[in-house]
Order: sequence, then structure tokens, then C-alpha cells
Amino acid sequence: MRNPYIPIPVKVSRVRVESDDKTLKTFDVSFDSKEERFEFMPGQFCQLSIMGKGEAPFGIASSPTEREFLRFTVNRIGVVTTALHYLEEGDIIGLRGPLGNSYPIERFRGENVVIIGGGFAFTTLRALTVYLCANRDEFKDITIIYGARRPGLLLYRDELAEWEKRGDLNLYLTIDKPVAGWDKRVGFVPTVTKEIAPNPKGAWAVVCGPPVMIKFTLPVLLELGFPPERIYTSLERRMKCGIGKCGRCNIGSKYVCLDGPVFSYAELQRLPEYEG
Amino acid sequence: MASINEQLREQARKLLADKVVDLIIGYRKGSLPLRSTPYLVKTEEEAGSLIFDLTSSNNLAKYLPRVKTENRGSKIGIVCKGCDGRSVVQLIIEGQVKREDIVIIGVPCEGVVDTRKVRKKTGGEEVLRVSLPVLPGSGGREIMVEGRGFKITLDKEEVLCDVCLGCQHPNPPLYDLFIGRPREGSSARDEFKALEEFERLSSDERWRYFEHEASRCIRCYACRDACPLCYCEQCFVDETHPQWFGKGPDSSDTLIFHIVRALHTAGRCVSCGACVRACPVGINLNPLWVRIEKEVKERFGYTAGLSLEVTPPLATYDENDKQEFIL
Amino acid sequence: MSEEIFKLEKDNLEGFLLYLSQKYNLFLPRRVDDQLSFGQMKPGGKPSLDHYFNTDLPPKEVFFPQRETLLSYEGGEVKHSTYKAKPIALFGVRPCDTKGIILLDRVFAEGEYEDPYWKARRTNSLLLTLGCNAPLSTCFCHWFNLGPFNKEGTDIFLTDIGDAYLVEPCSKKGEECLRGTSLLGATGDDRKVAEEIRRKAESSLSERVEISSLKGRLLALWEEDLWEDISQKCLSCAACSYLCPTCHCFDIQEEGSQEKGERIRIWDSCMFKLFTQEAAGTNPRPTPKERLRQRIMHKFSYFLDNLGEFGCVGCGRCIRGCPVNLDIREVIKAVKSFIVESR
Repeated sequence: MRNPYIPIPVKVSRVRVESDDKTLKTFDVSFDSKEERFEFMPGQFCQLSIMGKGEAPFGIASSPTEREFLRFTVNRIGVVTTALHYLEEGDIIGLRGPLGNSYPIERFRGENVVIIGGGFAFTTLRALTVYLCANRDEFKDITIIYGARRPGLLLYRDELAEWEKRGDLNLYLTIDKPVAGWDKRVGFVPTVTKEIAPNPKGAWAVVCGPPVMIKFTLPVLLELGFPPERIYTSLERRMKCGIGKCGRCNIGSKYVCLDGPVFSYAELQRLPEYEG
Repeated sequence: MASINEQLREQARKLLADKVVDLIIGYRKGSLPLRSTPYLVKTEEEAGSLIFDLTSSNNLAKYLPRVKTENRGSKIGIVCKGCDGRSVVQLIIEGQVKREDIVIIGVPCEGVVDTRKVRKKTGGEEVLRVSLPVLPGSGGREIMVEGRGFKITLDKEEVLCDVCLGCQHPNPPLYDLFIGRPREGSSARDEFKALEEFERLSSDERWRYFEHEASRCIRCYACRDACPLCYCEQCFVDETHPQWFGKGPDSSDTLIFHIVRALHTAGRCVSCGACVRACPVGINLNPLWVRIEKEVKERFGYTAGLSLEVTPPLATYDENDKQEFIL
Repeated sequence: MSEEIFKLEKDNLEGFLLYLSQKYNLFLPRRVDDQLSFGQMKPGGKPSLDHYFNTDLPPKEVFFPQRETLLSYEGGEVKHSTYKAKPIALFGVRPCDTKGIILLDRVFAEGEYEDPYWKARRTNSLLLTLGCNAPLSTCFCHWFNLGPFNKEGTDIFLTDIGDAYLVEPCSKKGEECLRGTSLLGATGDDRKVAEEIRRKAESSLSERVEISSLKGRLLALWEEDLWEDISQKCLSCAACSYLCPTCHCFDIQEEGSQEKGERIRIWDSCMFKLFTQEAAGTNPRPTPKERLRQRIMHKFSYFLDNLGEFGCVGCGRCIRGCPVNLDIREVIKAVKSFIVESR
């Protein structure tokens, strides 16, 4: 059995500044050795590490259908993320994963999917969207509602523009306050969700975003008629081991790293420590 | 005359009934012999459980900032023996609590028992029952401890904490009411007697002593967390940016923790010994604390926690300060 | 399992330990500076078994040291290794702590991921458990249906009968180990003496509190201000966690530069504020209340959910070591007796 604490070396193949304030950068990494088989599903995460600086968990932003690279978007906030921001193409970093569970895509087949995201938590939602698009005929309607404080903080803007051109995605982009040149929606994600009112019939909802956005979006979905069993979200907690041993990321009896990060709202409601 | 506990309870009830205070930080009987436990009293009924005796070893000043934050607008009573009272004075000087927010209930301290010394006396056997001399000033010095198959009488001087043996201030320097009569005659104790042996050691020997003590450290930080003057929002040991030293149990790291903490409390530490008593592995760096206290006294004529009027020496600058240590 | 019970005269203990230390990396209770903990047997060394009730520090450190190197790196090259020396034997471990090790086996070695560092030390290790003739007043293993002579998880069980130990193999490993000795069988009288000792020890235990309904109670009381009362005096230090034979939380840290250094794991505790402090500034457990509740919930609720057993073995170390006498038995009693006021 592989030692789960030892990272695999990966090479940074592409670095891109993601947000206009430069606090977000997107990294594509690729495996040096061809023998490394890396099977994962959207929703899973990895621990990225730089020796001497430490490790931090990041959701995988690429889809398993994109075979050439793994993508991560990093918000510069602490010691590790700051060190990651200094990376250049060709640098080698450590990667552990894939860790955690994934979105229950099997259950989505043949049904409608509503993807709701906020801010820089759109990473695994990108993975999900790309995956669904790559297998487009297996799913019915796909609706995406994605908001950020301002246009420059929306992730993957080039791709969003491409998605808008597709005829088979209902994409709604929104920002918090009006800005000159913005011709799309304005308003917080929960409000916009209410306005768009996706049909809950035969549909699944996936919500990722800052805690306050999730907190106000979940009731909207319930109101629209989504049962808690059909609403999924991905949680974040301070993590270290990523494999359910070090004991810090639990919410009630569930470890976010091992039993999550994806939980149904129904599961969360049963956990004592979850404050939705 | 009513016992000290009866007087304490009576006064506490009165303070609560008259709304002089909203709550009182005190002690009640603990779950183990030789242990009392900190107790936050909110009702007159609860006041009936208050005690003060040789087992009241925690420094209650520790709780003041937290209790204050959690009970905004409340007036807080606090039971203070000498060292708790001095810590309160320090906390006021350092702006952590306001004098007008607290009511100090002074108690005359006869010292507190060092349970490790008792354990030595019983050869490691568990103490199951204890009888303590009645306070205050009954002249009682005998502590009777009983366990499986033994019953021994100890002179309290044999089992008091080291710091208590050199204590000059058994009464709080500042109080709003006093239970019983302030103790007299403590200055008969030699303040720095505990240091005599330590100061005879060569600097190598002293270093070895520190290293040896720190080598047992498990980094639970009970010492820091029991210290009323360790109230930093983020302790230097927890800093990550930069991280000053390693987080492991290696004595090169643990010793830095203890020494830097000692320097950080220099001129503020009241030598209450709460850190030593809190340590689950029996680390005794008392000589270091007391030596620093002595240094501050000799150098600046300052003793921490005695007066609200005097600015602590390390918080001020005087061009006449000795600086022969600057190379 | 063989019905055979052997007898080890205390005069022959040294020889027996020597035999063990040839096959094993032997750890036994050793007193240093009035502190008892499990230490490595030194040549000619003796266990500190006089006035031995239990070690001050739990034996988990033998298998889960406070600091462990996960990997080392230098100039882009990463190296890692796990324990490779002789198998470990623990002599004189108390039944509660043996159970603690078994619980940690489940935490570290069960489930989707196996912890290779724990596993390497535990593989082929031998536990020689010593029954407790004189449980302390702070012992409460019987609350968890364990007890001073509980044999669960041990390889060899020892009972101190005065001048000798009764030695009972409890596993294949234990049997094999004893096969290499020349111990004689115990007599019926010896067994009677041992039985009497066991009876006496069990009857000396403090009052037992029924805890079968504790998990449900805890979940029901999650929001109650009971937790404020309980945590009021908690200093939020890690004395309880680090003295606990089942607390297993750890941190992963870097030591060294980007060029050369080690990635290590060190003990950590849910009692520390930083434990769940996120880089962005939020903290799901900001005060001692949430942290103490987490520790209690973990032991008496989450452990049951995840492994079907309580995560406490009643060793009483946290009771003896808490700097403010926050007695976990009193917490349990308070949870049991708390009356929910209707709102």
C-alpha cells in the first residue's frame, strides 16, 4: 500500500492570474512519470505542498475528461498559498490525492442539474460542468448560476464566455453591484436563484460558495421545492492529513476530508456541529 | 468566630444579594483530595459552596479577562489570595481589566499545597482523605493524609509550594473587603531562599538544569494557559508567519518556549507558581522565575503587582537605567 | 487458546525481561524525576513497578511518538521510511491502556487509509498487560465494561500475586512467546489467590455510572448552556489530550528550509484554538466551550458513530492531570442529570 502521507511530484505546466486583484492564480500541473495513474471524479480534492512551507487542500478544478493536466485555483491567504503564488512554469511541487468523495454524478444521469456557485469556490463546479458537458447527452437540462462580487473576480472568464455561446447550457452570471459595461445580472446569488427559480422536478442542485452564500441559498432551494436529499454542497475546514486520522476537520462524526467534502443537505442537517 | 469558609460564603451571599456584584470567581471543593476547583458563582445558593484553604491553588486572576468579555456590563467579584491579588493589579496596570469593574475579596493565604511534594511523602501512594488545619491563623500546621494502609501527618511547611515558602505578600495588596484578618509576619520568610542553592550552580550547571526540566515538556501549554499574565491573543509559540521555532518536543525548542515566556513575563510575573502547579509532567522552572523577579527588584527596585501607581520597569524608560549588559 | 497459565517468580523477572529484550524492543514503566512513563529497557535496567498504579504518560507514545518524521527532503529528493527495528513489546501496560492501543489500531489502521507509521510499530508487537490489584480512586474503566483485569487485546496477561506473576497467554503471539521460556504451570492455589485479588480489586472500584444512553443525551443537549457551565473553568490547554491514551489528533509541520528539511507530524489537540483556525480568519470552534464539547463529543458520541465503541477507557489521567480539576466523570454526570428547560 502506498504511504498516504508522501506527495507525488508534479510539474507546474501553466500558471495564470485568475482575478483582477491578483489574489487568485490558476495552476495546471502534470505528472512527471507516465506510470502515475490518477483516477478521480469532480468534487475531489488534493493536498498541494511545497517542501519547507507545508501543505494545503484544494479542490480539483479540472475534469477527469481533461487528461493532460490537473487544475487548481489558489487564493493567496496563508503561508502555503503565498508560496504557491510564487511558482513558475516548470517548478515541481508535491501532490497528494485524489482525496475525499465526489459529486454523486451517477445519480444525476438522465436528470436535470442545477449548479450554483459563488466567488472562488467555483473550482470543483468547473470540474463538474466540464465533465457534464463532455458527456452532455447523458444529462437533461443543465443550469448554472454563478456570482462574484465584481466581474474581475469571476473565475475562468474565457470559458464562461464559451459556455454562454453553447446552446445546451443555461448560464446565469451575476455580480453584487452594478458596474459599467456589465450587461448581465446584478444581485446576490440567493436572490438571483430565487428569480430564476429552477424547476426542482427531476433535478439535482449543487451549491458551492462562501459560507454566507450557502447559508442563504439552501433555504431558497428548499422553498423552490428541492428536497434536502437532492441538494449537495462541498464544505471546507482546516485540514492536515486529508485521510481521516489527524482529527481536525470533523463536523459532528463526519470528517470533511474523508466522508466529504461533498455532503447532501439532508446529511448535514443530521450533524450536530453543522451551522447552516 | 466563624470559620473562614463561613465568612466567605456569608460575604459572597451579601454581595450578590445587594447586587454589588453579578458574579464571583472563587473556589469550591474539588473532586480529588488536596484539590479545590475554580468556581463561577452566580447565585446566593451557589455562594454556599465557596471555600478557601490550602488547596486553593489556581490563580483566579486568569479568568478575569475572559469572564469580563463573556459577561459584558457585569461587576465581577473575585476571591484573591496574595498572588491572585497581585496578578489582578498587574492586569489593571496592563489595561486588561478595569478597577471599577471588579470587587476584590481578599483572603489571608497560608500558602498552598504542592501535591507533588505530598506524593513524594506518601511514596507514590494515592491520597484518599485529607484533613487540613483550619484557617485563618489557628496556628494549625498539621496536614493529615490518609490512603490505602497509611495515615501520616505532615507539617504543612514540608508540602507547601516552593514559592509559598518565600512569599512576602500573603494578602492581596488591593481589596474591597477582606475575609478574616490580613496575615502578618510573612516577611519573616526569606524571599529568595529558594534561590540560594540555584545561584551556587555554575552557569553550565544551570543550563543543564533548564535543559533537563524542558526535556520533559510535552507542549500542552498548561503553564501558559494557567498564567494570568499570558493573555496574548496569539502566543509567540503559535506564530506561523514567521514561525520562530520548531513545534516538536525537542528540548532545544521547548526550552526556547519556556525561556521566552519567562522573559515575556519579566517584571510582571508575581511568582504565584500557578504554571509549575499546572504542569502535568512536573517541570519546575521556579528558580528561573524567581531569579528574574529578584533581578527586577535589585535593578529597578520594583516588585510586580503591588501598586497601581508605579509603572512597571519594562514598560518605561529611564536614562539612568543600568545598561552595563550592552556590549 | 491454551488453558495453560504459567507462573513467573519475581526473582526470575529479570531473566524473563532479558529473554523478551532479545526478541523485542522492550518498553516498560520507568520512573524518571518522579514521572512514570514507558521507556526503553536499558541493559541491566529494571522496570519501576513499586507503587506502580499507572504511568503518568500513556503508552501511546511508544507507537505514536509526539514527533515523527513523515519524510525528509534535500535538493528535490524526498525520502521516507517507517520503523524497522525489532518488534516492540510493552511490559506492564495496564488493561485500560491496552484497550487504548486497540482503539488507536482501529483509528490508524482501519478504513480506507492505513497509517504506515503506526502500523510499522504495531506489526508483530507484543502487549504484556498487568492487571490492576489496586485501582486508583480516579480509575473508571468499569464504566466502559472494561475493568482492572480486562484481557481484551492483550497478548499476555499478568497478575501480581505477591512473590510471583501469573502469566496467561491470550493470543497466538503470546503463546509463541511463552513457548520459548521455561515457566512452570501455575497451581490451583495460585489461581485462587489471583481470583481473590481480582475480586478485591473489582470491589474496590468507585461507584459506576451507567453510560449506555450517553450518546443520545449528548446529541440532545448540543445547544444547551450546560456547555457554558462545564467549560467555564477550562483553560483550553492540552494536558487532557496529551495524557489521554486514545487522543490521536496531530498536526503536520515543516522543519527546515525549502532546500533541506523534514515534514513531521506532532501531537495536536482539539483544545487549542488554532486547531481549527482557518487561514481566512474564521474558526468553527472559537471558544473553550466549543472545544471542550468537541472533545467530549468525540469520546462519547463520534467514536461510537464511527467505530461502535466509546473513545474513553477510563484511565483517569485527565482527571489527575487537569490543572483546574475539570473532572471528566463530573462532566458525564452533569450531562446525564441536566434538565432541559422548555423554551
